[in-house]
Amino acid sequence: MSHATQKQNPAFYAVIALLVFMSVGPVLLMFVNSFKLDVDILSGTSGLLFFPTIQNYETALCDILWYEPDHLRFCQLKFGGAFVNSLTIAIISTILTLVIGAMAAYGLVRFRFLGRDTVSTTTLLVRMVPPAVLLVPVFGLWNNQFCLDQNGLLGGWIKDIFGGRGDPCLAGTHSGIILIYVAMNLPFVIWILQSFIVQVPRSLEEAARVDGAGPFQVFFMVVLPLIKPGLAAAAIFTFRIAWNEYLLASALSDRDTKTVPILIVNNMSEFNVEWGVIMATGMLLAIPPIIFTLLASRQIITGMTAGAVKG
Amino acid sequence: MSDMTVAKGMNQRRPAKRKAVSLANRLSPYAFVGPAIIVLFIALIIPLGYMIYGSMLDWTASQSIEEADFIGLKNYTDLWNDPRFMKSVSVTLRFAFIVVVVELIVGVGLALLLDRDIKGMTFLRTMFILPMMIAPVVVGLMWRFMYHPSDGTFNRFLEKIGLPSVDWLGEHALMSVIIADIWQWTPFIFILALAALQSLPRSTLEAARIDGASPWQQIIYIKLPLMMPVLIVTALLRLIDAFKVLEVILVLTDGGPGQETQILSHRINETMTEVRHLGEAAAMANYLLILLMALTLGMLGFNRWQENRTARIRAAAEEDV
Amino acid sequence: MLKTMTYASFGAALMATTAIANPYSEYEGTTLVVNFPAHPHYDAVMQILPEFTAQTGIEVEVDQLPYLAMRERQTLELGQDEGEYDLVAYVVFSKADYVYADQLENLAKYFMNPNLADPSYDADDLIDGYVYNIGFAGGSRGYLEGKTGSLFGIPYGSETSVLGYRTDIFEKHGLEVPETYEEMLELACQIPALEPGMGGLASRAASGHHAAHAFLLHLNPLGGAIFDDNWEPVMNSAEGVAAAEALKQIVECGPEGAVNFGFGEALGSFLNGDTAMYLDTTVVAGQVNDPERSQVVGNVGWALHPMGTERASQTGGFGIGIPSNAENKEAAFLLMQWLTSREGDKLVALAGGNPSRFSTHADPDVNAAFPHMATFGEALQYADPDWRPIIPTWGRINADLGTTLSEVLTQELDIQEALDGVAERARAAMDEAGYYSWQ
Repeated sequence: MSHATQKQNPAFYAVIALLVFMSVGPVLLMFVNSFKLDVDILSGTSGLLFFPTIQNYETALCDILWYEPDHLRFCQLKFGGAFVNSLTIAIISTILTLVIGAMAAYGLVRFRFLGRDTVSTTTLLVRMVPPAVLLVPVFGLWNNQFCLDQNGLLGGWIKDIFGGRGDPCLAGTHSGIILIYVAMNLPFVIWILQSFIVQVPRSLEEAARVDGAGPFQVFFMVVLPLIKPGLAAAAIFTFRIAWNEYLLASALSDRDTKTVPILIVNNMSEFNVEWGVIMATGMLLAIPPIIFTLLASRQIITGMTAGAVKG
Repeated sequence: MSDMTVAKGMNQRRPAKRKAVSLANRLSPYAFVGPAIIVLFIALIIPLGYMIYGSMLDWTASQSIEEADFIGLKNYTDLWNDPRFMKSVSVTLRFAFIVVVVELIVGVGLALLLDRDIKGMTFLRTMFILPMMIAPVVVGLMWRFMYHPSDGTFNRFLEKIGLPSVDWLGEHALMSVIIADIWQWTPFIFILALAALQSLPRSTLEAARIDGASPWQQIIYIKLPLMMPVLIVTALLRLIDAFKVLEVILVLTDGGPGQETQILSHRINETMTEVRHLGEAAAMANYLLILLMALTLGMLGFNRWQENRTARIRAAAEEDV
Repeated sequence: MLKTMTYASFGAALMATTAIANPYSEYEGTTLVVNFPAHPHYDAVMQILPEFTAQTGIEVEVDQLPYLAMRERQTLELGQDEGEYDLVAYVVFSKADYVYADQLENLAKYFMNPNLADPSYDADDLIDGYVYNIGFAGGSRGYLEGKTGSLFGIPYGSETSVLGYRTDIFEKHGLEVPETYEEMLELACQIPALEPGMGGLASRAASGHHAAHAFLLHLNPLGGAIFDDNWEPVMNSAEGVAAAEALKQIVECGPEGAVNFGFGEALGSFLNGDTAMYLDTTVVAGQVNDPERSQVVGNVGWALHPMGTERASQTGGFGIGIPSNAENKEAAFLLMQWLTSREGDKLVALAGGNPSRFSTHADPDVNAAFPHMATFGEALQYADPDWRPIIPTWGRINADLGTTLSEVLTQELDIQEALDGVAERARAAMDEAGYYSWQ
């Protein structure tokens, strides 16, 4: 049973190959089908014998193509716009979460507000809240309570710049969605980063202190660079949630701030199940996570284990 | 750099300034933690309070919250007596329980099996992360296609090898939804279990081997107990996430057939968007939160007890060496 | 190509009439924000909107959403002091909610305004059943035709139910097109035996509004109803049980996986050639002969919704109305009037939409392009405006009905017992809403 003796039992390779096939298979299937016409997808001629077409992608991306695909009567899916919204929301909320979360994690670890156990338990409890629970209150608050008077100074100013009707509210803006994503991801980020900050040797910080650096300088110049791997892991997880989330975004966004998951669910509407286009949009949504997986799998695993093993 | 030296110089020369600096130092913990507290307060605490208040109102989607009538705990008692709500509580519990147990068994089993130096492990781990990273919405649509009664991958395959096709999303809807979740999340447990295994004290394992413990004995008496704290946290994380699952089910079955796959999150969403009774949806959300809180605290308590036990075992095992 | 030519000539004709005194000029350059569902009819509308802009100079920005999401969005927008939308298309059962909450404009003041109302509009040409079903509120029972009611919207994208069947299959086995429910049910179960692997009748059946809709489709023709005249729930009557049994039989003899079909899957299985018959909304007619979507091009015939104890086909679909909190109400009215005018209705029919006027159903150009139009026109005479209750409580009852029926279809639940449960819960909901306070 030793590690060195059990070298190359082919059965293990078979198991690994099977597992890889099982986890990647559905994604590959989606990839292949996104290049098929609906007729080919449904006709039963499975396998790779088909004439690949980019028509599904043209349908999906019709609003940002420089030409008009001739199979479309009008451009219905505004995928390009939604993609930009998704990117904006995911990137900004990731940066904000990281900065705020890292600061909080540092504060909690170094200044001993509460015991570490209490912090872990609290963050876990906050992390527990399912998005569906937030649905009603966030919908109500963002639409009706978190608004500015349109005749007030700030409200009037916002209205002048962004237009719109009625009092400007958080709902329907990028900021509204970003705020809730930051709040949803903070507990997790604090939890992960804590375990990295604990490992930063205090002597380094104290040396900087002796040189006269203030607490913020110490944090940004000394601590942050040392926890880069943790930041990378936290960034990927935060981005993943912000990029993939559907429920709250669908309650908070309006026609200009729709994100890609909303578009995909909307497009699966009951009147036409166009598998090809659905697969193409799904594939487009999956590209950034796939890239992360391939490029940064080590950081992802670090993040996952840091959360559970060291938390 | 020059700033720092200047600051240093000032500190030494002017004791009065020092007080200000130390005040800033004393306040800085709040400055670090402050933004997070503000965000969490605005976007989690206020909404939760709003929800508790809203759950005591007769509040429909066409009304603003000011117009709704206060009805005390009526929404809660109505729900308590509503068999449909109870059914969806039971679906939620069943889903979460089965998913966590199966994923734990499969994930830990695979980790124990593959905890060895084989080429390709890194590749497997990378590929294993993929399902977790992909949007639930996309996972839902991939599986919906594969489960399609006549054109889906599974039934085509069954047909080809001459087996009767399976009514995946009809008769076996809950199972199908569970399978999709297992596909997506078993890797999570696998990776964490593997990490835990590899961080076990080598000396203890070695000692057990020399004492002639069989592989099974090693697993049952040494590896599993030592991994237990990590496994419990992992299970807890999965349990929490299992209660958050909504999108996959929304896309895959939309809660059907009947209420077979209607987990609480789905019922909350349906009550809000189709029945349009916000008060009732808020009360449901509160029930869900209470349920989750009870489960989490229970598991945390169990974890603490277990940790003490593991510490004893570890100590005992090390004494043996 | 032919189609674009037709549009152009229509456009020219309209130009000629409007050029003399242009009522649109005041609103030139306005941008209307409208909210439409993702629905085949409104996909057709998307194609004719550029024509409207060309003629009037009024720009239209469309927010297209799946209809449940659309309803949710509208609930929110219409509740604000000032809303984004100038014109909304609403699902027929939203009429109750919106009118009750005073969120839709009464159209009287627009039709009275000589600057806005087109004298050649010919409102009598609009199909009566649809007008009362979709646009009218405040009449008898609150949602039907009656002396106390008035108009809040105009039917647009209105649907009724028809029976589609595969002419090739029917010919091959010498089958008769079913006229009655008995014949249809018998045939539905005969087909899987005649054509192995093929389902009898495609129906929606998935949990929720799909199953509820499928049940309603059979309820009226078989003589049942949801409520009696005193708002007592009667869906658990013998007729209601018969309708549920019919649905169950149809699903059992239907294509593979039918229990879980939503509308899209049901339609898909018919278009894919997996099912021999289709009984549902007329909205699909445009897709049947689209070779990109359909494998059964040229092999589909249409007949009236079969008769049970009576003929009563579905009334459903959408209407368009002006939100009370809209910014550009007058321009919105002009768009609404243009879309539902004789010309607009014909344009949208030619683009594959569902016309709402008698004249369009009789129009030779439309009939030449879509030969089934005549049958559809006939079906309209039997469209039942009281097909389902349009009251605010309906959302809750509908959700319950849909879940329960899906349980009937998937688990061996006793139909009578299941429907009794629905009736009991419906009564409680109605009681709470105050429907029995005058008894």
